[in-house]
Amino acid sequence: MSDVEFSESEFMICQCARLIQDGTLVFIGYGMPQIAAILAQRLHAPRMVQVYEFGAVGALPETPFVRFTMGGPRNCYRSLAWTSMNTIFAQAQLGMVDMGVLGATQIDRFGNLNSTMLGADYHRPGKRFPGSGGANEVLTQCWQTVIVIKHERRRFVEKVDFVTSPGYLDGTPGARERAGLPRDTGPWRVATSKALYGFDDQTKQMILLGVLRGLSVDDAIKEMEFTPLIAERVEELSPPTPEELRILREEIDPDRAIIGKTAAD
Amino acid sequence: MDVLQAGIGEFSVTDPDDLRAFMRTEKRRAMVDKVMPEAEAVRRYVKDGDYVSFDFSSFTRGPASLVREIIRQRRRDLWFAAKFTLMETTLLAVGGCLRGVDVGFLGLGQLIGKWVQDGRIKVTEWTNGTLTLRHLAGAMGVPFLPTRNLLATDTLTYSGAKVVQDPFTGKPIALVPAVNPDVGLVHVHQCDIYGNARCFGPGVSPLETAMASKRTIISTEEIITTDEIRKEPSKTTIPYYMVDAVVYAPFGCLPGGTQGIYEMDIPHFLEFMGASRDEQKMAAYLDKYVYSVASHE
Repeated sequence: MSDVEFSESEFMICQCARLIQDGTLVFIGYGMPQIAAILAQRLHAPRMVQVYEFGAVGALPETPFVRFTMGGPRNCYRSLAWTSMNTIFAQAQLGMVDMGVLGATQIDRFGNLNSTMLGADYHRPGKRFPGSGGANEVLTQCWQTVIVIKHERRRFVEKVDFVTSPGYLDGTPGARERAGLPRDTGPWRVATSKALYGFDDQTKQMILLGVLRGLSVDDAIKEMEFTPLIAERVEELSPPTPEELRILREEIDPDRAIIGKTAAD
Repeated sequence: MDVLQAGIGEFSVTDPDDLRAFMRTEKRRAMVDKVMPEAEAVRRYVKDGDYVSFDFSSFTRGPASLVREIIRQRRRDLWFAAKFTLMETTLLAVGGCLRGVDVGFLGLGQLIGKWVQDGRIKVTEWTNGTLTLRHLAGAMGVPFLPTRNLLATDTLTYSGAKVVQDPFTGKPIALVPAVNPDVGLVHVHQCDIYGNARCFGPGVSPLETAMASKRTIISTEEIITTDEIRKEPSKTTIPYYMVDAVVYAPFGCLPGGTQGIYEMDIPHFLEFMGASRDEQKMAAYLDKYVYSVASHE
């Protein structure tokens, strides 16, 4: 393990930020993805263009980050354009948005996401969540989508209780295209508090690509309801670097409202 | 076109010719002074059982003071378009105003989720994007628009969308029905007395909401002269003839913010989030911020 203590959220955010490439258009979801986007912009992706569902394009958010804000002025600071929801989702539908970054409540083997409800009967949900928001559009339209999710057994399920946003559906070849979804799109990476997953080209099943330094493959897969494929070489994922942590803790979120606290604090 | 799949969610359809007839006879073309107090605007234009929509959210440029007035006047059985919604559904539900919600994003706080679980509030599933697209269809006077969103999901199953085979490419495509709210609420930065309105910064769908709605109530940070409007017409977001009432409401989004004027009030949101777990606490919150005051003024 690293000498420096870090929170689960900090690792998830750093993993997610590392997946964001410079010079791309990236659709940013609410909460943790916002922090990851700012971190990526301040490190390796200064020319990454943030896109938000309410219409802001190319924002350079002010820090410290204002918790809860998304459409507010500090998060939309120094944008390139202020458009509208129909405009921005049309641009995603056109194929202009390279990557989307989303959270979710549940995910299954084929990357189908649930953020709507838990339980067997839709009309009598065991627990009701806010629903799609813009997640369905992001997972439908972006060329690649990264899902940031806490590594918990109850979240990695054999079958999601409700398909809010489409992954690779039943995993059969061409399933997304047959349904009318845009060609060559879908979930790309799943970044958790312990591991990193991708999706197998052929079977579209989730595949373990890496685990956090100090953890074993077993540590990752024992906390999942289904067993993913495992890459031939499972990468060792570096914990947050001192520079990543400095930016997160000093510049972006000094109150640690989103990045969380560590045992040492 | 064969219908390949049809969602089972509850929704209503407006006949485009009925809509045109309404626009022909009920919307004024004359430039008349539409400034009125919020109480009068809500009394005139929001009725029990109405479908209500508004622009943006309770965090940013949302018509918070108008929502509070609807609660204060105890409107009942409203159906609410929750596109990019945060606090509003919870406030309206606790105020006893809501029958159902088109989701988008259901909104913040644990209480609203519990009430959906208990069946006290009905929901129809959509997404932020498709609910906003329904407003665009409503604003265009067409019965539906196609989209590649929603396909192959349970969201579609519990929506009112239909999947058809696109007659041009042969691929499956989703159709979402137009929505024409009985009343739309839009908060803006500046407006003249006739309703020529400007809003700045990113907007979810101010123009679509105003055009799709049969009645539109504007609340505004500032009332400016028509001369000012005429000096820079490219800044006009909504033309006056789509607007039925203009309410002067400086800081009308509070506890949310209005871009360039004030940022959201975070301690207030934390107070709301604390209260939103519990029915009694939310009732006390409404007493403090809604019922105990006569108006936004």
